[in-house]
Amino acid sequence: MALRSDYEQGRTDSYRVATVIATDDDNRTADGHYKSRRKMPAKAAKKENLDDLKQELDIDHHKISPEELYQRFQTHPENGLSHAKAKENLERDGPNALTPPKQTPEWVKFCKNLFGGFAMLLWIGAILCFVAYSIQASTSEEPADDNLYLGIVLSAVVIVTGIFSYYQESKSSKIMESFKNMVPQFATVIREGEKLTLRAEDLVLGDVVEVKFGDRIPADIRIIEARNFKVDNSSLTGESEPQSRGAEFTHENPLETKNLAFFSTNAVEGTAKGVVISCGDHTVMGRIAGLASGLDTGETPIAKEIHHFIHLITGVAVFLGVTFFVIAFILGYHWLDAVIFLIGIIVANVPEGLLATVTVCLTLTAKRMASKNCLVKNLEAVETLGSTSTICSDKTGTLTQNRMTVAHMWFDNQIIEADTTEDQSGVQYDRTSPGFKALSRIATLCNRAEFKGGQEGVPILKKEVSGDASEAALLKCMELALGDVMNIRKRNKKIAEVPFNSTNKYQVSIHETEDSNDPRYLLVMKGAPERILERCSTIFINGKEKVLDEEMKEAFNNAYMELGGLGERVLGFCDFMLPSDKYPSGYKFNTDDINFPIDNLRFVGLMSMIDPPRAAVPDAVAKCRSAGIKVIMVTGDHPITAKAIAKSVGIISEGNETVEDIAQRLNIPISEVNPREAKAAVVHGAELRDVSSEQLDEILRYHTEIVFARTSPQQKLIIVEGCQRMGAIVAVTGDGVNDSPALKKADIGVAMGIAGSDVSKQAADMILLDDNFASIVTGVEEGRLIFDNLKKSIAYTLTSNIPEISPFLAFILCDIPLPLGTVTILCIDLGTDMIPAISLAYEQAESDIMKRQPRDPYRDNLVNRRLISMAYGQIGMIQAAAGFFVYFVIMAENGFLPKKLFGIRKMWDSKAVNDLTDSYGQEWTYRDRKTLEYTCHTAFFISIVVVQWADLIICKTRRNSIFQQGMRNWALNFGLVFETVLAAFLSYCPGMEKGLRMYPLKLVWWFPAIPFALAIFIYDETRRFYLRRNPGGWLEQETYY
Amino acid sequence: MSKNNGKGAKGEFEFPQPAKKQTFSEMIYSPQDGTFFGRTGKNWGQLLLFYTIFYIVLAALFTICMQGLLSTISDTEPKWKLHESLIGTNPGLGFRPLSEQTERGSVIEFDSKKPAESDYWIELIDDFLREYNHTEGRDMKHCNFGQQKDPSDVCVVNIDSFGGCSKANSYGYKSNQPCIFLKLNKIFGWEPEVYDEAEKDMPETLKYYMKDKSPEQLKQIWVSCNGHLSKDKENFENINYYPSHGFPSYYYPFLNQQGYLSPLVAVQFISPPKGQMLDIECRAWAKNIIYSGSARDRMGSVTFQLLVD
Repeated sequence: MALRSDYEQGRTDSYRVATVIATDDDNRTADGHYKSRRKMPAKAAKKENLDDLKQELDIDHHKISPEELYQRFQTHPENGLSHAKAKENLERDGPNALTPPKQTPEWVKFCKNLFGGFAMLLWIGAILCFVAYSIQASTSEEPADDNLYLGIVLSAVVIVTGIFSYYQESKSSKIMESFKNMVPQFATVIREGEKLTLRAEDLVLGDVVEVKFGDRIPADIRIIEARNFKVDNSSLTGESEPQSRGAEFTHENPLETKNLAFFSTNAVEGTAKGVVISCGDHTVMGRIAGLASGLDTGETPIAKEIHHFIHLITGVAVFLGVTFFVIAFILGYHWLDAVIFLIGIIVANVPEGLLATVTVCLTLTAKRMASKNCLVKNLEAVETLGSTSTICSDKTGTLTQNRMTVAHMWFDNQIIEADTTEDQSGVQYDRTSPGFKALSRIATLCNRAEFKGGQEGVPILKKEVSGDASEAALLKCMELALGDVMNIRKRNKKIAEVPFNSTNKYQVSIHETEDSNDPRYLLVMKGAPERILERCSTIFINGKEKVLDEEMKEAFNNAYMELGGLGERVLGFCDFMLPSDKYPSGYKFNTDDINFPIDNLRFVGLMSMIDPPRAAVPDAVAKCRSAGIKVIMVTGDHPITAKAIAKSVGIISEGNETVEDIAQRLNIPISEVNPREAKAAVVHGAELRDVSSEQLDEILRYHTEIVFARTSPQQKLIIVEGCQRMGAIVAVTGDGVNDSPALKKADIGVAMGIAGSDVSKQAADMILLDDNFASIVTGVEEGRLIFDNLKKSIAYTLTSNIPEISPFLAFILCDIPLPLGTVTILCIDLGTDMIPAISLAYEQAESDIMKRQPRDPYRDNLVNRRLISMAYGQIGMIQAAAGFFVYFVIMAENGFLPKKLFGIRKMWDSKAVNDLTDSYGQEWTYRDRKTLEYTCHTAFFISIVVVQWADLIICKTRRNSIFQQGMRNWALNFGLVFETVLAAFLSYCPGMEKGLRMYPLKLVWWFPAIPFALAIFIYDETRRFYLRRNPGGWLEQETYY
Repeated sequence: MSKNNGKGAKGEFEFPQPAKKQTFSEMIYSPQDGTFFGRTGKNWGQLLLFYTIFYIVLAALFTICMQGLLSTISDTEPKWKLHESLIGTNPGLGFRPLSEQTERGSVIEFDSKKPAESDYWIELIDDFLREYNHTEGRDMKHCNFGQQKDPSDVCVVNIDSFGGCSKANSYGYKSNQPCIFLKLNKIFGWEPEVYDEAEKDMPETLKYYMKDKSPEQLKQIWVSCNGHLSKDKENFENINYYPSHGFPSYYYPFLNQQGYLSPLVAVQFISPPKGQMLDIECRAWAKNIIYSGSARDRMGSVTFQLLVD
């Protein structure tokens, strides 16, 4: 037995050495631990929510005798159920399908968008408008319809933004639907002795079904008959190799026993007949899916940030609104006026366009990510990847190519490296030596794998192959090295063959040689290396056959151990030219009762295979490292392989040792090693089963480089929870159903688009279309960039709040004519500010964002004190000064000098006063001075646009100078032009004075704001100059947002 | 694995932890950190200093700009005049008495039996006319039609010619014949283009009045009052205009002359109906005064309400 022999050879660790397990699976791994994932001793109940998963262990359908089984389900192995009974069962249990996760009804989603966020505040504003209007309407004959208009506009704003975000949301959820496998599944069922083809949903308990290779198992079934039947359980258990299944009960654990096959796994070989023992949600798959959908995922980090921000702004709005409502009362205003002030303050305070801006920014990033093969299901997940501080990555298919490839060969007593890269750009080796020729001949001939038809244009490595993964690897390797393998096989006709079986652990075939002068037959054999070696007496070295002495055996062992230590699956190869005298042409080879020699053969060499890492992964892992992200490998695979891959992709970096490595180096028992000295750790799922959560925390805390091998779904979940407990934001990648609870629990679950199961895609927030880990790095980069850019965008948008609120405050406190109206405020928030704010999403990163640590989710907020201080306290104030200056300019130039304005408000706004005197004795009618006032509104508006130019340019960078950053963001440059053109349009377009009360301005009135725009630019350039000069200084602590 | 093994052995990955929950009192003052509202005294001081300097500089910038603005602005005449200015070239009308309580709007309501109510309006008119009374020491001229006049001259407004609307008569408020004083809005540099003959839109009384006037005397901006929205016209039969039916054009242009007084027309309603709100619209007539009676876009006219209880 291979595993034993490993121990006998003094290995510290074990690994699989042959393609198929030699003995019946004893459900133990090489080091004696239980291999099973779910068959945990009952004591280890760690989390209540995992109990669900364990309940599946209670079934005994696999233990009872077939007769008892038929009895229980009132069925018959040949005739199946009666139609009546089937109907009864169907009515009792319902269809055999997974209940889809509970969907929030569409109208609830819509209402959430309509009333969430700032919407409530704006609704209050709108309602106040309508109330004010109806009171005015009932008390005066000619009510001013300002409030009616404003109410309508506000409601329209809320409804439009609500519809917009609802549309965005539903669009991203539609992505998901495209992934649903809409092809109905059919099953062959025997009922009342007849074979029927039914839809899989119509299966019921007790049905007798027939399954053949290529089918998806329609329900959990107990197998009663099988022929060479193998199932791919990878999506359920993570085992990458097909598992053979038969009628015999082999294990207590339902997942390990051979007589059960599970819903939604695939049959890859053979045929079987079985009795349905559980359906739909009661199947193992159904339970895991149910567990996943039952997990509470919590808010995404960006949602938290946005809520934090909304609370902040709402708080300020309500505080200011109520304060000034009260002040207005104290100052003796009419209560209706006070209400109108309240509306104005709310409208000025709420950045109406901001949530839409954020949504658009996230959508833009999601689109950009989709083009880089990261499909985002949930918009908010765009940023989550950027905050990620830990990635728990699956191995197979994500880090690796999920394609067995020949990695090394050993012949002529040397190890040759084969090319495992995707594009074959790697090493070349000598293909002319006799050793390689002999080895390649065996690998070509003693191989049953074939390319599937119709793949002419496909690169060899990507071609689909029918047959075992190892043989496929050999086939591809040979096709690359020798060319047309099928032709070679044709020229060396196969005479006889003993296929691989688990007792022999070898495969042998006999061929005619292509040399027509040589009548001898060629015997080729491959199999478990030590078994092959046992059968050899000579070895082929450098074109000469030598006696296989102890020295050569030692060399073989060294090579075998070295390759095995790399986590590779090793095969041995030998051949023998059958002497023509004993085995003449036409000799009848009997493969059942072997009548040819299978001992004293000629040993040729070894070939080892591995599922190699993807080319881009080491680089991606290094990038994650430098980005401060801890990459943990969590895999169902064996520790040795996992460790080898981890080392080759840099998850365990060079020079870092595990506890075991240290123990081996110092030659001391593992227990004497201080675990803190080992930076790396390879944790076996079996060990993990016995550790407490504190111990797990210690593992996660004190080892920087961790590999979890042979882990179960629960353990994946526990690992994710452990990381989250330590404050990490965790990304999980996975493809199987067994990963789905962890995917769901993670802050961001990343499913695989190609290899991923539907359940995993359902549970995930993001889908990697190319299954490539490197795409995650893109995601991280984009996520971090959008977080930075959202900050900039929000800083830009919030700044204009101050020049929007301050006119109201001055209006109330100084009794001046209103400098800026609510309609113009909306024109800024929803008009001129929108495109520039969105364009900041296109801003390039200021520095290498992949060189800094992930953001601290507790302190590095989207909107923080410093951002508010900058936007409101500094830039906003300069902007307000600009607005007021323009206001005073226009008032003064038309006759109202500043000192005349203070206290004039009541007379100004009274319709009865038709002759208000200005500083030059001119008398203004109500109409004329309202024209003047609205011209001031327009000018204030335009001056905000002017200072927002400067604001936009300074918001491009948070630390760098604009001269470093450049003006290459063309979306932003367009935004600058756009806001200017829009402002000019609003001011000069005829009819605007009727609709929006915007009046044409004299050209000179554009200019008064320019000194303030310059001031903003110069101030902020200076500030950032000091920021760069004194990193960590006071200015940075107070103003770096 | 023991937990006590020193800090040096800590891994490179220290995950951020949530901030310690603070009680409300700790938020205001935390003795262990010495912080008020999350900052130490020094920290607050620095912040205060920063913002003080920032706002001083900003205020200086604003002041410089304002000084720049004021230096371009004359004390005596507005920078933009007539059509260049938003005041335009279309003067409106103003009326007195106008309550300083703006919420009363343009309603003149009184009961002649209650002295307090009529006195309120009389007092307002007194205040308004005070300027017109005390013209001593001013350099004013008694102007007349046909007389040549210097643009800087200021013409006297004779308040003794108001007939039934004299102060002696309590402006009619004691006798239920209230007077309303109308004036044309001053617009710097504006000069009227008067109607030389009656327009067909003009009310009959005005046409009749204009009929026997000499061409010199026709140089007036005519004024007429009528029921607004053409209702209860019958109540407007008995209206007297003092001293004339319009503003003589020799008062114009207004150039912000020292002591300039707007010409007045007193309108007396001889028989206002009792207890009924009279909605009155007065308009000025000149070729270059455009009239619009719409509530939102009122030009060349004024409305007010008269309610005699």
